[in-house]
This record gives sequence, C-alpha cells and structure tokens, in this order.
Amino acid sequence: MARKMLVDGEVAAVADAGQYDYDLFVIGAGSGGVRGSRLAASFGAKVAICELPFHPISSEWLGGHGGTCVIRGCVPKKILVYGASFRGEFEDSKNFGWEINGDINFNWKKLLENKTKEIVRLNGVYQKILTNAGVTLIEGAGSLVDAHTVEVSQPDGSKQRYTAKHILIATGSRAQRVNIPGKELAITSDEALSLEELPKRAVILGGGYIAVEFASIWRGMGAEVDLFYRRELPLRGFDDEMRAVVASNLEGRGIKLHPGTNLSELSKTADGIKVVTDKGEELIADVVLFATGRTPNSQRLNLQAAGVEVDQIGAIKVDEYSCTSAPSVWAVGDVTNRINLTPVALMEATCFAKTVFGGQQVKPDYGDVPCAVFSIPPLSVVGLNEQQALEEANSDILVFTSSFNPMKNSISNRQEKTIMKLVVDAETDRVLGASMCGPDAPEIIQGIAVALKCGATKANFDSTVGIHPSAAEEFVTMRSVTRRVSPTSKPKTNL
Amino acid sequence: MAAATLPSASAKVAVRNIARAVSSSQPLLLLHASSRRGRGLHPLPLAASAASQGAHLRRALSVSASAAAGGNNGAAPRAAEREYDYDLFTIGAGSGGMRASRVASALYGARAAVCEMPFATVASDALGGVGGTCVLRGCVPKKLLVYASKYSHEFEESRGFGWVYETDPKHDWRTLITNKNLELQRLVGIQTNTLKNSGVTVIEGRGKIVDPHTVSVDGKLYTAKNILVAVGGRPSKPNIPGIEHVIDSDAALDLPSRPEKIAIVGGGYIALEFAGVFNGLKSDVHVFIRQKKVLRGFDEEVRDFVAEQMSLRGVKFHIEQSPEAVTKSDDGLLSLKTNKETVSGFSHVMFATGRKPNTKNLGLEDVGVKMDEHGAIVVDEYSRTSVDSIWAVGDVTNRLNLTPVALMEAGAIARTIFGNEPTRADYSAVPSAVFSQPPIGHVGLTEDEATETYGDIDIYISNFKPLRVTLSGLPDRVFMKVIVCAKTNKVLGVHMCGEDAPEIIQGIAIAVKAGLTKQNFDSTIGVHPTTAEEFVTMRNPTRKVRRDTTAEAKTKDEAASQK
Repeated sequence: MARKMLVDGEVAAVADAGQYDYDLFVIGAGSGGVRGSRLAASFGAKVAICELPFHPISSEWLGGHGGTCVIRGCVPKKILVYGASFRGEFEDSKNFGWEINGDINFNWKKLLENKTKEIVRLNGVYQKILTNAGVTLIEGAGSLVDAHTVEVSQPDGSKQRYTAKHILIATGSRAQRVNIPGKELAITSDEALSLEELPKRAVILGGGYIAVEFASIWRGMGAEVDLFYRRELPLRGFDDEMRAVVASNLEGRGIKLHPGTNLSELSKTADGIKVVTDKGEELIADVVLFATGRTPNSQRLNLQAAGVEVDQIGAIKVDEYSCTSAPSVWAVGDVTNRINLTPVALMEATCFAKTVFGGQQVKPDYGDVPCAVFSIPPLSVVGLNEQQALEEANSDILVFTSSFNPMKNSISNRQEKTIMKLVVDAETDRVLGASMCGPDAPEIIQGIAVALKCGATKANFDSTVGIHPSAAEEFVTMRSVTRRVSPTSKPKTNL
Repeated sequence: MAAATLPSASAKVAVRNIARAVSSSQPLLLLHASSRRGRGLHPLPLAASAASQGAHLRRALSVSASAAAGGNNGAAPRAAEREYDYDLFTIGAGSGGMRASRVASALYGARAAVCEMPFATVASDALGGVGGTCVLRGCVPKKLLVYASKYSHEFEESRGFGWVYETDPKHDWRTLITNKNLELQRLVGIQTNTLKNSGVTVIEGRGKIVDPHTVSVDGKLYTAKNILVAVGGRPSKPNIPGIEHVIDSDAALDLPSRPEKIAIVGGGYIALEFAGVFNGLKSDVHVFIRQKKVLRGFDEEVRDFVAEQMSLRGVKFHIEQSPEAVTKSDDGLLSLKTNKETVSGFSHVMFATGRKPNTKNLGLEDVGVKMDEHGAIVVDEYSRTSVDSIWAVGDVTNRLNLTPVALMEAGAIARTIFGNEPTRADYSAVPSAVFSQPPIGHVGLTEDEATETYGDIDIYISNFKPLRVTLSGLPDRVFMKVIVCAKTNKVLGVHMCGEDAPEIIQGIAIAVKAGLTKQNFDSTIGVHPTTAEEFVTMRNPTRKVRRDTTAEAKTKDEAASQK
C-alpha cells in the first residue's frame, strides 16, 4: 500500500523538513486534534494546528481550542447535569432530617456564568498545552488545496497556505436540524448550553443521549419537559431492557414522554413557540430543542482536491489506521463517524501519532468501549448488550439482572430502582457486557470496563469480595441466572 | 447485606441446583431422601421437598470431601443423623450466621436453626437482633448517617451551581434517627423472613454451647451435628477514669440528640466515619489519635490525604494523644484529659478504640474451643475450631472483619460441610472502603507492603480537582494511586480517596481478580467525563522504587510529597 511508504517514524520526519513547512498539519483542535498534534510533537515532528476563534456556539467561523467535548459537549453538559441533580438531592434530603425553610431558587445566569468561566479557562489550558508541546497555533478555517497543502482562511477573506508531509483532519461534527416548517425557531445543543433564559416549558425532539440528557437537565432546573421521539423507547442501540428503565425513570422524575411521535411544525405565537406533532397534538414551549443527530464537519474542507473520499452522510472514509483515501491525509474523531466519543477520538489520535511518527504501527481497539448517558439517574454500559451478544454468539447467553432499591432510597422514599445487567457467554464464562442504570453508574462501569479488558469471567466477578455497603457490590453478588437465551431463540425482555 | 438481596433468589437457586443433582444421581439414593421428606420442616413445600432430596444425595456423596476438610462431622453416618435435632445450629444471626444457615438449608437441604437475641440498637449480653452488627449497628445505619450528613456539603456545592437559599437548610436529628430506626426495624423483619423462607428455624434467645453437639438457648437444649459460632464483635473501651461518661459507636448511631461538640478518640475507620457524620451535621468535631496519622495499615499517602481533606472540611485532629480521663462538670459538659492537654466543653465523648470478639459466656472454654489472646476463636482455613463439630466465621474469629468476608467464610463452610466440596475463603485482593468524607476505597497492597514483597515497583499517582469543584469552588480533591510490579507489570494495589471511591474501586477489584496489568488499565477506554476515567489515563509513573536504591527513591518521594 502506498500509505506504508509514508509511515516513516524511523526515518524521522525531521529529515524531510526542508521539503514541507511542517511534518504534520492538523485541522481542528478538539480532543483528537490536540492529542494527535501533541503526541506527534513529542515524537519530534514539526507540527501546526489550525482552529477557529473561541465561541460557545459553533459556526462556520467560530469554534475554539478544546472542541466539542470541552466547549459544547461533555464538559458543559456534565456541569449542567451536576447543577440539575441538586433538585433531586434537596427532595431526598427531607427524610434524612433536612429542613429547607423558605424558597430555594435557581439562578440560571449564575450557573451559566460559572460554566462559561470554566470553559474559557479550559480553552486557555488547551492552547497552553499545545504551545508547551511546541505546536504552532494558527487561527482560521483550514481546507485542503492538495494532499500536502492546507489553506487557512479568515472571515475577511485573507488566506495563507501551508505545506505538510501529513495532514490530520479532526474537525468533528455539528448538531443538525430536521427539515420541518419553522425549524429556524428551534435550537440545537450548542445553543441549549448557552441559553440566556432558562425555559419554563421545553420541548425536545430526539431519543438519543443528547435529548435524554437535556430533558434531565431542564427538568432538574424546574422546567416542564416534553420529550418526543420516533421509536417506542429512547436510546436506540442500547440494551432494550435498560432503555425501558431509562424511560420509566425519566417519567418518574416528571418528564412527559411522547414515544412514536414526531414534530411536524413550529410557529411563533405571542405566548411562545407553538409545536404541532404528527399526531395533531399542539403545545406551547419557550424552547424547542432538536437533538436529532450530528453531522460530520466535512463540507468546507475541499476534500475532493486531495482525493479524500466521504461516505453518504459526509463522514470521511478511513482505514483501520485512520488513513483516508489520500495516503498523506488522515482523519480521527467524529468527522470519521466511527464511535463518536471523546476517549475514542483520543485513542484514534494516539494510534495515528504512534503509527506515523512513533515508529509503531498501532490500530485503535474498539472492543469493550464503555460509555455513559448522563441522564438523571445515569446509564452506563460496556461491551455487548443482550441483543448484540445473541447476534454474535455461538453458544448460549446467560443473562444476570438485578433490580434493587438503592439504600439511600430506603430513607428518602424515592421510588426509583437501580438496574444492573451482566451478559455472559455460557460456554466460555466470559462476561461479554455489563450495563447499569442508577446513581454513579458511569463511575462504577469504568472499573468494570477495566475488568472486561482483563478478560474477566463470571467466575472472576463471583470471586471478588464486595465493597459494603455500595451499589457496585451488586455486580459481584449476582449469583442466580435470570435467563438463559439461545442464539436461535428470541430474548425475553418483557418489552 | 445489600438491600438488593432478594429473598426469592435462594429458593430459585435451590430448585435449579436440585434439578441438576437429582437428574444426575442414581435412583438408589432417592429412597433415603424420600424417607426424610415427611418431616415438614420447610415452610416452602415445593422448593423444600426438592431441596431435601438434593441435599441428602449430596451428603451421601460427601464423605471423602469432608474427611479432606479435617474430620467427618459434616457427613456423619446416616444412623447418627437422627440423634441430632439439626444438621447445623448457628449462634448469632448476623451476616455470617444468616448466610451460612440460609445456604445450608436452601442450597443443600440441611436442617438449620439459628438463634439470636431480641433486637435493640445498642448491643448487650442479652440484646442483639437478626441482622447483626452490619445491619443494626454498623454498615447500614452508618451509611444512612453518612448520606444524611453529606447533604450539608452538597448544599455548599450547589451554591456554585446557581442554587440560592432564602435561609440556610437546618437539620433535625430526631427525624433522621426516627427514619433510620424505622428502616432498621423493616430490615430486621425482612431478614427474619428471609431466614424462614429459606427453611431455617429462627429461635430467639441467647445461645450457649453445652457440649460439642448441644446448644442451650435460655435453658432449652438443641442438639446439632455441627455448631456454628457467628456472634461477631462489640466495641471495646479502655478502662480509664470517667469511662462511664463515654459512648461507643452503638450509642453514637442512636443518640437522642445531635452532639454540639464531640470528642472522638481513635484513628481507625470507625472514628473517621463518625467524625465525618457529625462534622457534616455541623457538630464541632475533635478527633484524638494516638499516632501521628490516622488509619494505621492504610497506604501512607492515603492516610495523609484523607486527614488533610477532613481538616479542610472542619474536623480538628489532635495527634499523638492518649486519653487519660474523662470528667463531667456541673453543667453536664465533659472534659477529655490526654497525656498532652485537657479539652473541655464536650457534649459527647466517643471512643472508637477497637472492637472485641463476643466470646465471653458462650461456653467455649468448657467444650475446649481455643481462643487467642484477644478472645478471638482460633480456626483453621476451613473455619473449623479446635473442636471438630464447632465452626466459627466472621468478626468472632478476627480475621478480616468485613461483612462481605463473613459472607464469604459462611458460604465456604456451608459448601465444605454440606456441599461435598472443602472450600477455603480466599483472602487475596479483598477490597474495602472507609466511608469518611471524602471516602476511601482500596484493593491490594499498600506501597510499603508492595515494596517489601516485590522490591521493584512503579507508582502512578494522580492528585486532582474533580470537575464538580471547578464550579463549587470548594477545596475538595481526589487522590488516586496505582502500584505496579516493575517486573511483571501486575497491578499490586489500587488506592483512592475522593468522591465515589468505594463505588469506583469495586469494578477495579474484579479486574485485579482477573489478573489486572498496567497495560489492561492503559488499553481501557475512559468513560468521559468521570472521575474514574483518571485510572485509565495514568500514563507515566510518578516514581520508580527499586530495591537497591531504596534510600534514593525515598528522598524523591519526600520531595514529591512536599510539592
């Protein structure tokens, strides 16, 4: 393969420095771009990275060091989830003896201000990290001229060209809107993280993790929330049983669910935005959020100039080393639409830098990637869900489930069960997947993910002594199998 | 006991196991089994008949196994069985006693009885309760108080997240204690039912061993082929002047009013947990420890870190002080005199100065059960005492005094005696937690232990501000430490102090059981954004300790800790 000739870690990029301005030019300083350029620089490569000026809401000319994760995704989202979680804590605290006399108010402006302060700080941290690593920072919008040339343009029309032996595209993705009348009245998650006013009545369209997380956030802050999605349950792709649990928890926390329902029209009224559904329902909202998927940021990169191919949704096609159809152009993270998670982009970028500049050929390993949905309470999973396990299995699958009242609820009286599930290969005893919905699930699943990477068997789980009293100990005390399912039979999930 | 343990689970297990046992054994033996069915000892007719069949099949096959475990009491000749009222008589229905009798009965079909004293929140020679220390005077009520007290920290945190209070939240001690006790009573009921549903006979009263096969419960005699002692431990206080004014952890969990100012003597986990509870509920908390540092036996850096974090939250530590006397003044307030100072004005003085096995007045000496100098029952690795028919598990044996360990020991003896499989409890890589605020979770070796055993080790440390703190503005930090064998790359120990540490360490403990190496950690993808993901992103060792350069490494260590 042509690519191989360019994999020249041993020969060292430095030797070619004369031919190109840089050994590596990176477009986009999000999670993947920052990691790729830092690591490449640490291997001795001469690296430049271009990124748009900072702004909480992204656009053609605005972005910022840190990317989606830090500025418009994981970090601000988690901060808002923390903020929203306190409402449940106040409720729960009563039976533990706490008396809150007088009003508790929520000052959205203060939270927003503190959140923005933190994000601005992180934006600075990322710039510093890059500078300290010896990476040249260039502000502007990067696009390809050819397989070794990047053009960085400014809003005023000025342009500058840079040549590089390798180009890494890490431009991420962006929220997309559905095409219905009045769509311009809706917002996406970018704006939702930076709203001037906290909505009193929020309508959310979408059943993915972003939709579910914002439903929890706004509900926790006191809004009335209506969540619309096309399927019967939210969170397609997750374990069916867990999806049902999340749905009932959202309802339990006061979110109105509208399964199997789409929005057909939005219009402005004096009272707010009028929302019409495909079932003919009408409601008025202060905010309508479209959480209807994200699209790779590949349109303005002039990819065809370098012969870089994209798929039908615009994601850059890459091989298992993250190399595009142009041997000198690489791509990592959401723009490639593989597994769109920050830590996965980090892994891809690390493998890229090691492969191209580190003298070691490494492929990203997509096995047992854990992830979390920060709904309130959260869901977290690692490995295969029951349906996937059945599809991939050669032998029977053992399913262990546990549904219990968390100890805290025994006093608070909150009616919300924690659910855990293990999927085990009946023949090898290997634990194929674990999932949990309940408080602290993401923190708990991280350790379970480490165990799965060690090839943990159910016997390993059983031989581990519990940490008492914790929720997590339930994972090591699931002694009796809930059901045994054959690949040929259908899973019985009571759905 | 996890609140999650479902009473029906064991019955299901029994049926499944029995189904297997029955189908795989010879019809010859069934004769014997069915002859025993008429006794009607089991309240669950369906499961029970199957259970007793299976058990007797297994027992008949278990002679050789029991012999391997060091005797033949587990599988006495069939003729002898009829001599005893029960196959297993357990004294003490705490975690260990309940587990052993339940498993023996539900899984192996043994005729099991357990005796326990009436319920009271404070234990005595005549009072206890089904559930034992863990459920009634330990893990559970403690954790409930920890939850209650943590809210004050959450209220503080919430301000940075935009929450505004017209008036500061106030805590009503009585509501908490009432609700806690309602929950404990509910649990006593559940546990009793769980035992009964497993076919275990529950007898109320104080058990005393009369001979190797006889237990007296308040004068009534019961014979058993095997006797299990699972009576646990109890707080112990040194005999200093004024000790009658001092409370222990039993009382501290059930005080009529909240302490205004409390002295807690002791540096172990119980002392720290209560310090956190009362500090969170806004008492003025003073902790007196004999040594320089809290938590002897824990990793040195964790010891430093937790004390520092607790100090930042308002707990006052008085180090290198031994209590000498407690005096009560006319206004009812208490003074604590130590070898260094006298501190006055305490509404309460609590001693968390260790626990002692409950072995007094059990008749153990008379039947020849050996005990060590602390009064703990000496057992072999199968939990058998010096008397063949008498076994002991849990705190009364003073091995690793943790509920899940007692459960493990109890499960092991049930299998050893009734399950045809001599089983030893596995004490390797037992994780545990301290529910201080912030809490600690750890598994495996401390740095000192690892250095001593393996010599060359690599240490990975992360000491960071969690995301929550960036908005709360509080001084909370998280400490994580991974100790790796330099030669094999095996992870020897993992330590954490910070929010959610106990929950986070549980999964890592499973990984350790599955042979965790540093590479496994590194190849695991993080769950973002979490605190736990830091464990899989610790790329470079903080220091390398090498056997031949121990002195040098130590100085580096000191330099690092001074930063």
